[in-house]
Amino acid sequence: MALIDVRHITKTYNSTAVPVHALRDVNVHFEKKEFTAIVGPSGSGKTTLLNILGGLDAPTSGEVLIGGQNITGMKESALVEFRLRHIGFVFQAYNLIPVLTAIENVEFIMLLQGVGKKERHERARTLLADVGLADRLDSRPSQLSGGQQQRVAVARALASRPRFVLADEPTANLDSESTTSLLDMMEEMNAKYEMTFIFSTHDARVIERAHRVITLEDGRFQEDKQ
Amino acid sequence: MLFLLAWRNVWRNVKRSTIIIVSIALGLAGGLFAGAVMMGMGESMINSAIDRNLGHLQIHSPAYRRDALVSNYIRSPQKVLSLLDTLGSVKAYSARTLLEGMASSANSSYGVTITGVDPERERETTALVSMLVAGNFLADKYRTQAVIGKKLAERLGLKLKSKIILTFQDRSGEIVYMAARIVGLFKTESTAFDEMTVFVRQKDVTRLLGARKPLIHEIAIRLKNSSTLPATKARLASGFSDLKVEEWREIAPELAFMSTSVESFTYLFVAIIIFALIFGITNTMLMAVMERIHELGILMAVGMKRGRVFIMILMETLLLSFVGGMLGMLIGGAAIAWFNHFGIDLSAFAQGLEGFGSGTTLYPYLPGVMYAALTVMIVVAANISALMPAWKAVRLKPAQAVRVY
Repeated sequence: MALIDVRHITKTYNSTAVPVHALRDVNVHFEKKEFTAIVGPSGSGKTTLLNILGGLDAPTSGEVLIGGQNITGMKESALVEFRLRHIGFVFQAYNLIPVLTAIENVEFIMLLQGVGKKERHERARTLLADVGLADRLDSRPSQLSGGQQQRVAVARALASRPRFVLADEPTANLDSESTTSLLDMMEEMNAKYEMTFIFSTHDARVIERAHRVITLEDGRFQEDKQ
Repeated sequence: MLFLLAWRNVWRNVKRSTIIIVSIALGLAGGLFAGAVMMGMGESMINSAIDRNLGHLQIHSPAYRRDALVSNYIRSPQKVLSLLDTLGSVKAYSARTLLEGMASSANSSYGVTITGVDPERERETTALVSMLVAGNFLADKYRTQAVIGKKLAERLGLKLKSKIILTFQDRSGEIVYMAARIVGLFKTESTAFDEMTVFVRQKDVTRLLGARKPLIHEIAIRLKNSSTLPATKARLASGFSDLKVEEWREIAPELAFMSTSVESFTYLFVAIIIFALIFGITNTMLMAVMERIHELGILMAVGMKRGRVFIMILMETLLLSFVGGMLGMLIGGAAIAWFNHFGIDLSAFAQGLEGFGSGTTLYPYLPGVMYAALTVMIVVAANISALMPAWKAVRLKPAQAVRVY
């Protein structure tokens, strides 16, 4: 059974006079431990697909099964809970809560899950050490570089022990060195925790490092290269 | 951690939060102080009246309360006085003869209440002696003597040692004339009282009324502590069911009305201030939410339920309002305590205040229960303020919100 199974997903936005077909009958599946990039020009539907995979948006038709569980048509409260327990997110920028420290940001997810204080503190420390920020636990986001903030975001995404992590253009705001460093770390997490990473990107540096590249254009599935 | 998050979010924009907190604090402090001044004024009027002649309790015959005739006197006053002598709550009492009549001089005449008193008893029961501006309180050598208000003296063109003619009716309705020497002039906070009250020795009017014993129309009672009023009243009422035992509120209902209405008005005044502040707080929190759309989107995307987001915004608003409210109560309370101790000198407005029967030094005060009530009002107002911003926050769609920068 695939980790994520996307079946005949279509997404149409009808809020404007001319309907926008963001996704047209997309079928794809993802396995455990994948390190996959979804690429395509602007407007190709990458972010829409990622949002649907993450339960942040509902498809117009089709279904998404995660671990065999159909998340399409789930009630919102159930979806929120599902995201909390099974999906990690890394966004393009400003991922973190500015008034919390690095360790508090990572702990926050576990707090939402109801994890005990001692356990979440220990786990947060370990994860931040894994992403190379053992010495920046008490730093606030404003005291961290862009790359460091993204590392904390990855640690937070992993804190909830998700089935997979969705990263929407995580390197868009980073310089080359930070990008390389971030990707190194994510590959390491991919190997260490057998964590599936699915990126939406048009950063060539990310595409180079991906183990699998899925290309979308005009909402349609174009290519799937291993 | 939600509380910690809310607290830190309040201080994200230090300038903005400080401005709104200071606004709340100053608004509330101003309202509290204004209310305390009004209550102090009301309290001053009540205390002045009690000190002047009202006392805490008064006893009359029911007939006298209906019709202030000479013949409606208390039939067995000694029994009442004997009981009063035994009550520990009673500081002093004065048994008075009250006669409606006229005060005349060569120039003019004026309607007055002629009050026949035992000077010693009256001295212990009221503070009138301390309000003498000239002379003494019926302690002179003259055969018949009177103490009148300075305002009345001016009206009649009289002064200390002048002769005043008092006219009243006896029990049979015959007109009685009493020529008295003015031995004292008083000036109280009440112009009306000063114009309409004449004090004479009880034995003098008793003689002129042709009575063997003083005719007692009124017994004014001063308590050691006003908190014993209900119990003392009940004791007297049960002991003398044929007499009318009334507390100052019943004798002077206009004072009682003013006391309760000032308290109500203070609540209303502060409620209006808090209501106005709601808009300021709502606006501040709306700005805080609109600035954080992306962040709120991320929180909901990673798994924070809308209910928790709502509570977080609610907490931020409550904290903001609470800090401002507590600061306001602290500032207001300190100002009230300071001026309650030292008083506010309003002698520049003496004439106007005398028309109300209020003293010229005000001691603002606010009952403790009002601070508790205000805390509740602030919490309620904060919750109302939080509704719109919190609703705005939970209505966000995470997928759209995370793309707002």
